[in-house]
Amino acid sequence: MEKIPKFKYLPDRALNSLVNGLLREYKVCGTIEKDGFPAFGEVSAADELKLTQSPTHLSAKGFLFPQREVLLRFDMRTSAHVPVIEAERQVLFGLHPCDIRALALMDRIFAHGVPDPNYLFRREHTIVIGADCMPDEYCFCESLGTDDVDEGFDLFLHRTGGGYLVRVGSERGSALLEKYARTREPGKAALKELDAANERRRLAFRAKLDAAPEELPAIYAKSDESRVWERIGAICTGCGSCNNVCPTCYCFDVKDEVGASLAEGERVRTWDGCTLEDFAKVAGGHNFRKTRAERLRHRFNRKFRYLSDTFDSLFCVGCGRCSRSCLVKINIADVTNELIRENAGA
Amino acid sequence: MGPQEKPRVAFFSFTCCEGCQLMVLSCEKELPDILKHIKIVNFREAMSEKSDDYDIAFVEGSISRRDEIKKLKKVRKQARVVVALGTCSSTGGLNCLKNRYPMEEVKEAVYGKRAALSYKPIDTIPARPIDAVVEVDYYLHGCPISKKEFLSFLTALLMGKKPDTVNHPVCVDCKMAGNICVFEKGGHCLGPVTRGGCDAICVTYGTWCWGCRGPVDNPNIDSHRETLERYGLTAEDVAKKFALYGECGGGRKC
Repeated sequence: MEKIPKFKYLPDRALNSLVNGLLREYKVCGTIEKDGFPAFGEVSAADELKLTQSPTHLSAKGFLFPQREVLLRFDMRTSAHVPVIEAERQVLFGLHPCDIRALALMDRIFAHGVPDPNYLFRREHTIVIGADCMPDEYCFCESLGTDDVDEGFDLFLHRTGGGYLVRVGSERGSALLEKYARTREPGKAALKELDAANERRRLAFRAKLDAAPEELPAIYAKSDESRVWERIGAICTGCGSCNNVCPTCYCFDVKDEVGASLAEGERVRTWDGCTLEDFAKVAGGHNFRKTRAERLRHRFNRKFRYLSDTFDSLFCVGCGRCSRSCLVKINIADVTNELIRENAGA
Repeated sequence: MGPQEKPRVAFFSFTCCEGCQLMVLSCEKELPDILKHIKIVNFREAMSEKSDDYDIAFVEGSISRRDEIKKLKKVRKQARVVVALGTCSSTGGLNCLKNRYPMEEVKEAVYGKRAALSYKPIDTIPARPIDAVVEVDYYLHGCPISKKEFLSFLTALLMGKKPDTVNHPVCVDCKMAGNICVFEKGGHCLGPVTRGGCDAICVTYGTWCWGCRGPVDNPNIDSHRETLERYGLTAEDVAKKFALYGECGGGRKC
């Protein structure tokens, strides 16, 4: 059997031709620069794509689970209602390993129980191209084992000297590469460079968890009464940013919006978040999680405990986005480490 | 109102710039449809006719003179539903900035020394939101109001649905819009404690949240004061920031 090389080598200018090729066929969403910061956005020309090793502030979840999407159009005069399931063929370009891991979790969530046709249809039409990264002070994916990926992407790009070492993750990815970019076999120097870069990255993690990921559900289960919750609840403003930047927070609200005709309207789904005051408020005004402390405890448990029963997986990928965006400096790794410490003696 | 009659809607304006009425008028696309369901009987920005017979009153502006108190009470007596239209009306708004000074001083600053002395009929009292004077059924926030929110409020009201009042901070709208956080860019913002529903347009277009919609239901003002100081503002700067739209008190009515 012919030995299939693990990597292809893609010189810089070939990356441009790959992006240009993709732009002809797909909507391309990728890492761009926004106000001088790395962010995900739609790419309309190859030079707008800025592959970045730094984490983006917002995740890429909005391209599959939009901030606002129409689920249904209706007309109350005739009781007609038409489901709306829309998807463009799209490429998500520049996802880091944590983002790809998060996508895999979202896939499971939206396929679980009653499958969500809107998400799944969009997902089916989405090509994923990953890119490597360097951790900042908030990244702790290494502690969760989500710092690398072997699947969940069509192509994955590793930066080396004058180009990229490309891992092919699917036949679709292989075909795209063949169609749009001239690759060659990687030289030994490039492979060596990759090993060195991986080692540099491994040493660059500053945020770490002090327990193994599989221990975390049990630690959280014993931490309901921890004083941590009151302390962070006192400084939390309940702004919901941790939910909105999180690549695995998938909660939503559904509302009917009726137009000025008072007859035609749309059923709309928008992001919602469990740290917001009205999230657990029900008819009659009762709020199941009245305080910010309760709401934060709930969110942390959703990441490290509650969902692991159903999915046998943690729902935090260690991207650090919630800590990075928190204006009062509630840090998910620090909080988790504090609970680990509290439980160490017990 | 008989069973077949359309609800009669009136707009009233007190101390304000009337920008919220203009926002209503700028719903050109939707107004023809809306007018099939309501009859507007009072709307100074749009028509000369007036009527004292109305069901729904949209009240714009804060109350800053004694005669306004009287007029507003009359509106409340007539209308079945009173809606505070915009920030001045809902929370007192910018007008409350004057409440920090003696009223004579304020008059003088606006009308000049001689005018203030000789123009006795000018009356001014500390500015206040309309619910400091009468009971209010619904609030539409914003300086100015959001068209989208006005329309969704009106359609809900006409359909007998409970109107949806946004109670999440502007940060939610900002993240939905995909903005980079103002603090990250080196600025200072009131987004984390301010009521959203505005699509974070101020941040999207390059400034920051000024707090025009007033605070969310249970704002953590103390924590946000600390954040603003941690990001480099002096205590005085912080107080000024909150004062612009919040001189009525952080979340309290004056």
